[in-house]
Amino acid sequence: MAEYTLSINGQSHTVEASPDMPLLWVLRDRLKLTGTKFGCGQGLCGACTVHLGGEPVRSCVTPVSDVGAKRITTIEGLDLHGAHPLQRAWIEVDVAQCGYCQTGQIMTAAALLAKHPKPTDRDIDQAMGENVCRCGTYLRIREAIHRAAGQRKEVAP
Amino acid sequence: MTSRRDFLKVTGAAGAGLVLGLRLEAKPRLGETVKAAFQPNAFLAIRPDGTAQITVPKVEMGQGVRTALPLVVAEELDLDWSKVEVVTAHPGPEFKAMNTGGSTSVSTTWDTLRKAGAAAREMLKAAAAAQWKVPVGQCRTENGFVLGPDRKKLGYGALAEAAARLPVPKDAPLKKAADYRLVGKRTPRIDGPAIVTGKAVFGLDVRRPGQRFAAVLRCPVPGGQPKTWDDAKAKTVRGVTAVVKVPTGLAVAADSTWAAFKGRDALAATATWDEGAAKEFSSAALEAKARAALTGPADDARREGDPAKALAAATKMLEAEYSFPYQAHVTVEPMNATTHVGADTAEMWVGSQSGNRAQERAATAMGLKAEQLKVNVPLIGGGFGRRLGTDFSTEAAQVAKAVGGGPVQVVWDREDDIRHDLHHPATLHHLRAGIDGAGALAAWTHRIAGPAVLRSWLGGQKAPSQATTEANGAYDIPYAIPAIAVDFAEVEAPTPLGWWRGIQIVPNVFARECFLDEVAHALGKDPLTFRLDLLGDRGIVKFGRDAADIRRLKRVLEVAAEKAGWGRKLPVGHGLGLACHAYDGRTYAAEVAEVSVVKGRLKVHKVTCAVDCGLAVNPAGLEAQVEGGIAFGLSALFSQITWEKGRTVQTGYHDFPVLRLGDMPLVETHVIPSAEAPSGMGEPPVPVAIPAVLNAVFAATGKRIRKVPIEDGLI
Repeated sequence: MAEYTLSINGQSHTVEASPDMPLLWVLRDRLKLTGTKFGCGQGLCGACTVHLGGEPVRSCVTPVSDVGAKRITTIEGLDLHGAHPLQRAWIEVDVAQCGYCQTGQIMTAAALLAKHPKPTDRDIDQAMGENVCRCGTYLRIREAIHRAAGQRKEVAP
Repeated sequence: MTSRRDFLKVTGAAGAGLVLGLRLEAKPRLGETVKAAFQPNAFLAIRPDGTAQITVPKVEMGQGVRTALPLVVAEELDLDWSKVEVVTAHPGPEFKAMNTGGSTSVSTTWDTLRKAGAAAREMLKAAAAAQWKVPVGQCRTENGFVLGPDRKKLGYGALAEAAARLPVPKDAPLKKAADYRLVGKRTPRIDGPAIVTGKAVFGLDVRRPGQRFAAVLRCPVPGGQPKTWDDAKAKTVRGVTAVVKVPTGLAVAADSTWAAFKGRDALAATATWDEGAAKEFSSAALEAKARAALTGPADDARREGDPAKALAAATKMLEAEYSFPYQAHVTVEPMNATTHVGADTAEMWVGSQSGNRAQERAATAMGLKAEQLKVNVPLIGGGFGRRLGTDFSTEAAQVAKAVGGGPVQVVWDREDDIRHDLHHPATLHHLRAGIDGAGALAAWTHRIAGPAVLRSWLGGQKAPSQATTEANGAYDIPYAIPAIAVDFAEVEAPTPLGWWRGIQIVPNVFARECFLDEVAHALGKDPLTFRLDLLGDRGIVKFGRDAADIRRLKRVLEVAAEKAGWGRKLPVGHGLGLACHAYDGRTYAAEVAEVSVVKGRLKVHKVTCAVDCGLAVNPAGLEAQVEGGIAFGLSALFSQITWEKGRTVQTGYHDFPVLRLGDMPLVETHVIPSAEAPSGMGEPPVPVAIPAVLNAVFAATGKRIRKVPIEDGLI
């Protein structure tokens, strides 16, 4: 057991955890930040996606000891008011069915838009190709990303 | 005895506004004592502040019931939708029918919810009329207000208390469909904002004070039991608090999910197993048994005319074998349940599609009566039939009781989920078609061989309806063929089975619609014209317990074909294929797929779907179900569960692939306008997707695929 001071959504948190504990379980079990989901524990489904230093990572295979001082952003910190262009677009397009994978989808998409403000379909296929949605909301995910990209200039800080 | 008309009553305390209790199950169950007093089991409340609370007696797993069912009430009651708050019911004496499956949530609640909304509306109008001293006929409702003569206007909140003192009308008039302003319009999912901000609470997100987490080490062979183990190493994992034997294996409780998983893995390294009855089970052996059963005895699901004679007299006979594998559900939220055992009560949080059975069985497992266990159903991260099972909720109760001391959340990992799924079983299909001298399809036989889901579900009992259940989608073949034989030859399999989105209709309609395509091509006929001719000019046709309106099926087929441009010139390497089905005789769906095969790689470009599900309560939700249903069907083209030495070969998303974004085709949905009562949409789009795509592959390449999953290099 060791102590880690993590920067999560702009706040500093000190937690006790074994060095190999994935960031996912630190967020969910230690800090009750349950918006980041457990889907496979193998980095294969994307439900656990968070940003680490601005890069999308699979928190289920990221040991807490690897995080260091890098900024962690989870769905709870993507936007203070839940008004990130992607979150707004997700509502407008009515993307979610069961909704379980959607926070991971949004975090992956947010990292994509940060790099490619106007992504092509091919960019979206590549960036989102490792995120599973068993309900099959993929067409709407694509549409919502395009819509958010269109809005970005007006609403993003 | 409560009369059938007496389904509503005011139940709220003074000051609570207008609270209506209504009864969603008209008849008591067999053997149930009928109470003299009316027992409401669903609630509708108009609070003094004008907000409305609607209790939903079904569970939400992405199919949109928490939006669709309240919409029905809000429509009749003319509620302001922005002031509607939705709560999910708790299973128990008031809600005995929370079972959510079979695409039935809207169809089974539609009438009662409408009547409840209408009754409340009439009471609010009567309250306003009394206050204004005007005839009630001069009052009408609009968006949360009663409007009267001389521009009089009162909000529902202000009228709720007075309305609650009025008698409940017996036959409040229902709105005409032409006057609907919510039903039939596109309404976004009510849980959308909570979902996109991460605030939505799924079962796995439940966090109670003092909660611990547990993983269960189960025998990799379903039904096996631990023989020896050493818990010393597991107990040295930091955070692990207990290792206990439970009926399904060995449970490790810890202060985090991670520590529970680590403890379980440490324990696994030491465990030996009695692998039980399934230890030699293999897909190869099962397939051999099924192939033998294709020619052995079977139970009739449908027999019409004299198929043997018609086949003997045929001038041409076609036959083919089709094969569909075991499938898994792989909901993205793995199985889980959280249980807090108290002194003589307990509470559970579980994403169950069978809330009532989950409650009864978990309570029994803890030595409690059902009413001593409160069950909460959070949002469900994917159901697809998996969560109709109570294995995981019962196990969670057993673990919590064995571990003791505060809430325990049992978490399955992905491997647990795949190995110990209630799988959908593999089937082999042998089909024959006899063509008479005039070139007409005169005989059709379809033998299905495989394990029986229903028997497994009933704990080993063979139900009278077993053959029609296992042959669903095959025995109700809608085409007019003079001689038809559809039967089911059961093959024993030792692992537990369950329902899967689209149930047996998926493999059966795959075989049926692909083989029919073969027959059309063999006769040199266009697959669309061939189907339309075979459907003929018939109305309602009965098949055993179901009946389908053939006109409605023809209509969806015609619309899908027309919208997809059936017969148009296609780019080189492209093909169009179609399929249709009347799902349980209630929902009619036809799909046309456009595919291409380039260098052996299949791409599904577009699926055009026409559906008739009666009145579409929420077209937005309906379209989502079509898109999702098609994705579910296409996913199955490439996935399978296989067995070796009693174990699933597959253990995760790496070897049980799920359709990804880049492979999702465009989907165009056409809803047939209908004044019929709504049916269901969760499953009907699934079964037709597979044959539509494989028939399109044939059109594109001339290769007939009769085996799912599509093997590498087959195209």
